[in-house]
Amino acid sequence: MTLTRPVVVGAGVDRVDGPLKVAGAAAYSSDITLPGMVHVALVRSTIAAGRITRLDTGAAEQLPGVLAVLSHHNAPRLAAGPTNNLGPTPPPPLQDDRIRHHGQYLAAVVAEKPYQAAAAARAVTVEYERTEPVLRIEDPAGELRTDPFGMDATRGDAAGALAAAEVVHEATYVTAENTNNPLGLFATVAQWSGGRLTVHDATQWTSNTCQTLAQMFEVPESAVRVYAKYVGGAFGSGLRVWPHVVLAVLAARTVGRPVKLVLSRPEMFTGIGHRPNTVQQLRIGAARDGGFVAIEHEALQTVAMDDENLEPVAASSASAYACPNVATRDRQRRLNIPCPGSMRAPGEAQANFALESAIDELSYLLDMDPLDLRLRNYAQVQPQFGLPWSSKALRECYQVGAERFGWSRRDRRIGAMRDGRWLVGYGMAGVSYLWWQVHCEARATIGSDGTGYVRSAATDIGTGTYTVMRQLSAELLGLELDQVRFDLGDSNLPWSPQAGGSGLTGALGNAVHAACRELIRTFLRTVVNDSASPLRGCTIDDVAVSGGRIHHRADGKLGESFVAILARHGLDELTADGVSDPPDPQEVGMAPAGAFAAKFVEVHVDPDLGLLRVPRIVSVVDGGRILNEKLARSQIIGATVGGVGQAILEETVTDPRTGRIANANLGDYLVAVNADIGEIDVTFVGEPDQLTPLGTKGVGEVGLPGTAAAVANAVYHATGKRIRSLPITIDDLLG
Amino acid sequence: MSQDSRNARAAQPAAGDAGTVRVTLTVNGADHELLIDSRVTLLDALRDELALTGTKKGCDQGACGACTVLVDGRRVLSCLTLAAQCDRRQVATIEGLSSDGRLHPLQEAFLRHDGFQCGYCTPGQIMSAVALLHEGRTGSDDEIREFMSGNICRCGAYPNIVAAIREVARQGAR
Repeated sequence: MTLTRPVVVGAGVDRVDGPLKVAGAAAYSSDITLPGMVHVALVRSTIAAGRITRLDTGAAEQLPGVLAVLSHHNAPRLAAGPTNNLGPTPPPPLQDDRIRHHGQYLAAVVAEKPYQAAAAARAVTVEYERTEPVLRIEDPAGELRTDPFGMDATRGDAAGALAAAEVVHEATYVTAENTNNPLGLFATVAQWSGGRLTVHDATQWTSNTCQTLAQMFEVPESAVRVYAKYVGGAFGSGLRVWPHVVLAVLAARTVGRPVKLVLSRPEMFTGIGHRPNTVQQLRIGAARDGGFVAIEHEALQTVAMDDENLEPVAASSASAYACPNVATRDRQRRLNIPCPGSMRAPGEAQANFALESAIDELSYLLDMDPLDLRLRNYAQVQPQFGLPWSSKALRECYQVGAERFGWSRRDRRIGAMRDGRWLVGYGMAGVSYLWWQVHCEARATIGSDGTGYVRSAATDIGTGTYTVMRQLSAELLGLELDQVRFDLGDSNLPWSPQAGGSGLTGALGNAVHAACRELIRTFLRTVVNDSASPLRGCTIDDVAVSGGRIHHRADGKLGESFVAILARHGLDELTADGVSDPPDPQEVGMAPAGAFAAKFVEVHVDPDLGLLRVPRIVSVVDGGRILNEKLARSQIIGATVGGVGQAILEETVTDPRTGRIANANLGDYLVAVNADIGEIDVTFVGEPDQLTPLGTKGVGEVGLPGTAAAVANAVYHATGKRIRSLPITIDDLLG
Repeated sequence: MSQDSRNARAAQPAAGDAGTVRVTLTVNGADHELLIDSRVTLLDALRDELALTGTKKGCDQGACGACTVLVDGRRVLSCLTLAAQCDRRQVATIEGLSSDGRLHPLQEAFLRHDGFQCGYCTPGQIMSAVALLHEGRTGSDDEIREFMSGNICRCGAYPNIVAAIREVARQGAR
């Protein structure tokens, strides 16, 4: 049967969860109300390091509606959560008197009404013994972790090649701390009932939340059910089981009633991760003809006390370009800061800014067009493994992007292009995104009415999983879209990995592919000896599916419907499971490729006021097979908007004396608004990836990196000012 | 005593002493009589008292626009509006926008143009857009962008939001 290359790509399929969302009827965890539900408010530390000397909850406990106040005095000891492919669970809350960061949870108040809980939280008094916090990335008082991911890469002799190189560019690049700030306030609703726990959460990974809570509260995983039917954005902040989730579960157990805990916007800055700031040294050596002879990339980032965060920064530079001598080094400085975590394109967002800025700088030293320089050093094979890529159309990204953008109209002289009083700059960057794929499971059923039901514990955080998996299921089962239901967001469904790392569509899509294929096999087994069936004796390779029927591949008339098979055999339904696992690159003889992209950006700079505008961005993406071009395009648009934020707006500012985040609200922490965004042009190129039956590569993150570098490169082209720190602000441009 | 604990004590609230008020809210055409704390915002009254959770809380500080509703036809941030201020006024929320199961043209246009991803800001975006059409601020893409900039979309669907509003505005003009 022809399931190995499904042609399900639909440019025009609208989001299947869209009608609910535009009607305000999609229930996010903060919208869930249970009978008898009470509310939790949090008390947070107002110092960044030290210990609690006194925590008085007496006044709070007397306030109207208050049911309980949890603190390190009365909270039970909790087991540590598991370590998974992203690292350990963040430290459980309320376990001791130690302060690790400003904003750390010190107490949780449970009350009948949310405002009663909030009022009582403010009535909890805390006294501290303050010690000097370590807050700056340069501070040698903070522990320095070397090669924290075991991903430092070397090939050849980078130092030797740099010493001998004809042209060397060396510079330090700095990226600010950014905060995910999904618009949906993270909320957890928790209910214990007879030893069973039900949780509605804003998470990107129900299977992990289930497993973690089971382990921490020492109950079987089968007693825990985690729902995340709709998530109001996350961008990586929902990948871990944060302390507030644990507190909600603990509070529910303590008061014996369902509880709801909704983080406030300021709490969203300290409790659910952030993109760590970095300081990066880049050294690139080249021959006069532009050929790279050496790349050295050293990146220092921040990490919290008692925590780990998987955020390879420099590591990605090892595979971006053909270059014989490479050394990458990642380091982490441990500080008294809230836990960093993944934020859309973790590591790559920061690394790409440094690498692609450095290449732009080198192009001026070589007097080469920056696009030509990138093509000159194109990695035709994966340079670290020496294997052919499973797919790579980055060259086409560059070519199509240059055409659509009008790169040839670029006057190479600095400051030569103008639009009235505005200086105009053109800049570009390349993106080679890392590959990420993990185990995933799915289950498929066809019922006696002929409709399909496919499901997995996965989440749809706005990425379109509900939609593309329904499309895919319909295609693979030969049904119409409205004859298939795809369910997700429930840990009781087959195990799914995180909606993260741009890996879910591939992992889940291949699991759905396997489940649907196995389901067709199950139907064929059912009729294998059935003399009444025209499919008797057929194997899966003999048949195809369409119109609710299985039929001979060669003769569409020779077959029968799912309904007929089920009815004749007295079955209500047939069900099959499918799993997908990442292939071993060595075994398949290919280097797994992530998505590739080229970014072309036009900026306008007001030379007198330092105003910076980004009226036009062209993105060309090789994302392998695109399952739904409309939704994939939205992913690229959205990530590009996030990239504009990183480039010119977003900076989480920590008071260097107290460790308090000084702009922990959406009025002072600037994210891109509608007026900041101009024309965003998106094109997909390339072929289905060779590594998996589905051929997707994942496009959730690739749209973000490259944006900041292309903006910075365009700013240099417009103004001659090389800005090596993000975000690029008015004072940078007036300085 | 440290500076921090003094601050914490000074910030003690006077919970429960502000009294309750009787408020009649007309929401999507239906009257609701509420006996609520005088400090309750319109947003919390809609969500917690009337179970109209289509209106979202994104910041509770008037900075994101997720809670946008119409009061007497004008868009307001319901998190910065006290319910008590809306006594006997007409409140319109996302739940009242469709009629007889048929989506409002803006809802349809948001769907068609994929003007959202996670969907959390969407009710606020659409209510803002409804007002925008009445305000006559849809003359150009730049004008739409400017006057929709009180509504943050962190998923970054702005170009599609502009396309959806532009389309409905042009249909209306015909």
